[in-house]
Amino acid sequence: MFEKVLIANRGEIALRIHRACKELGISTVAVHSTADADAMHVRLADESVCIGPPAARESYLNMPAILSAATITGANAIHPGYGFLSENADFAAMVEEHGFTFIGPSPDHIRMMGDKIAAKAAVKSLGIPCVPGSDGPVPDVETALKLAKEIGYPVLTKAAAGGGGKGMKVAKSAAELGEAFKLARSEAQANFGNDTVYIEKYLAKPRHIEIQILADAHGNVVHLGERDCSLQRRHQKVLEESPSPALNDEQRREIGKRVCDALVKLGYRNAGTLEFLYEDGRFYFIEMNTRLQVEHPVTEMVCGLDLVREQIRIAAGAPLPFKQAHVKFQGHAIECRVNAEDPETFRPSPGRIAEYHSPGGLGVRIDSALYSGYRVPPYYDSMVAKLIVHGTSRNEALMRLRRALDEYVIGGIETTLPLHRRIVQANDFVNGDYDIHWLERFVGLKS
Amino acid sequence: MPKFSVDPELIRQLADILNQTGLGEIEYAEGERRIRVARPAVTQVASAAAPMAPAAAPAAAAAEPGAPPANAVTAPMVGTVYVAPEPGSTPFVRVGDQVKEGQTLLIIEAMKVMNQIRSPRGGTVTQIFVRDGAPVEYGEPLLVVA
Repeated sequence: MFEKVLIANRGEIALRIHRACKELGISTVAVHSTADADAMHVRLADESVCIGPPAARESYLNMPAILSAATITGANAIHPGYGFLSENADFAAMVEEHGFTFIGPSPDHIRMMGDKIAAKAAVKSLGIPCVPGSDGPVPDVETALKLAKEIGYPVLTKAAAGGGGKGMKVAKSAAELGEAFKLARSEAQANFGNDTVYIEKYLAKPRHIEIQILADAHGNVVHLGERDCSLQRRHQKVLEESPSPALNDEQRREIGKRVCDALVKLGYRNAGTLEFLYEDGRFYFIEMNTRLQVEHPVTEMVCGLDLVREQIRIAAGAPLPFKQAHVKFQGHAIECRVNAEDPETFRPSPGRIAEYHSPGGLGVRIDSALYSGYRVPPYYDSMVAKLIVHGTSRNEALMRLRRALDEYVIGGIETTLPLHRRIVQANDFVNGDYDIHWLERFVGLKS
Repeated sequence: MPKFSVDPELIRQLADILNQTGLGEIEYAEGERRIRVARPAVTQVASAAAPMAPAAAPAAAAAEPGAPPANAVTAPMVGTVYVAPEPGSTPFVRVGDQVKEGQTLLIIEAMKVMNQIRSPRGGTVTQIFVRDGAPVEYGEPLLVVA
């Protein structure tokens, strides 16, 4: 087992990793920018190293600085968290070249799944159903028009090097495709430095359902059920729940088995999530995330597992301590992502937290690095807390979530807590009757 | 579970060796017991055995990060400081030296690359905060050129 782990991230996930390390008896090294010198995980970590000024490019994305910090502190392993360098295959390779263990999958698999075209081709050949599409890059509008005619409108032009909903444009007919195609290419170039695009059928009212897996270095792969992450605004998830209101046990078992079989063949290692669009009883693979996800606590609450601990153990070479048959899904969990934003305009709202009071009680969990007096810096992602509840049924989880949201106080800045309080009262949400467009319609309607 | 007791005399001996030799860190192991004494101001007693064995001495807190002194030259990167161009050769500067703008004051090694840290102004070196071989973080005060 590692003696010392360097946490190459910030905010709530850095604190999460620190906690898992401490519970395993592992010392922690927190690397941070000057803007994060007072962050909670920096205060709690055994050692801290300032690696740069506030800008992410010069700190949390600064590979030499992070590797240097690992060298001077004598760390054994590096956990990249999510975002930042967690899906940077070059970083993963450099970590290993310098003699540290990267707590995550192999650089090759990160690279494979980072190219969305290659990822689709790889999983398709392994028996995973995919969204019908071009199955390769589309070089020009003429090819796009031909393919779209076969696939059937509406179609989506997507950036191959993309993610986060950027570089994607819908065309409802041949008349719209020319412009959509060109716009997607320039957005792809601007956001990812690569204008390669591909085309997929655009599904009208799908749900976003993703499958969490864990794989050890000994060929064992298990799935930990699904998360329904359909509530999104501008392709950013706002609320997630498990199990999905749309799936039954048999569907869960079936898709879980197909995913595990594919990953065993692939030889995948550590945590991963396969994201699907689900419509009319069918799954369509869109992409795989080769890292821990923000919404992992939802799965932890339902399965009774510590996913970060499992990641660390896998990276240290230990076999998974359970088989698929041991995985039990108990009750229902819902997570709200709380952002430092105006709940109606979504304008970012950094600043000093005046009063902070988090909810408690049975089945309530807060993953947050906030504390009273803390200054939320303006340089990073706006998510500042995750409120997760667990209940024996979806209804119980819902009642608990409403109760917990009413107790939660974050003063001094604007947060999206009021938005969550409205969501949990909405009929459609209560009935579990929503798709990936629902939330944007819901916030558009608010006066 | 083995009883783990702190030997203050041993730690004092190790610390003396550290000071006399100018080393940055000494690690001493005997059976399952392992002690590491390191610079700058962090002293750790780590048990190599069961993670349940308590760390007997708390890590002394690193220096409180206040504002760096006026005219301090701070580290522009994370790495290891070397005060001379080669081990054993004359240091680049000593306290009291006059330096010109752009003159090399010390080296910070990061990932096997030696980076020269140059003086931002002409003046006198009045304080040096780091020893040869010390690890430094971004923004850490290195020396003062007044």
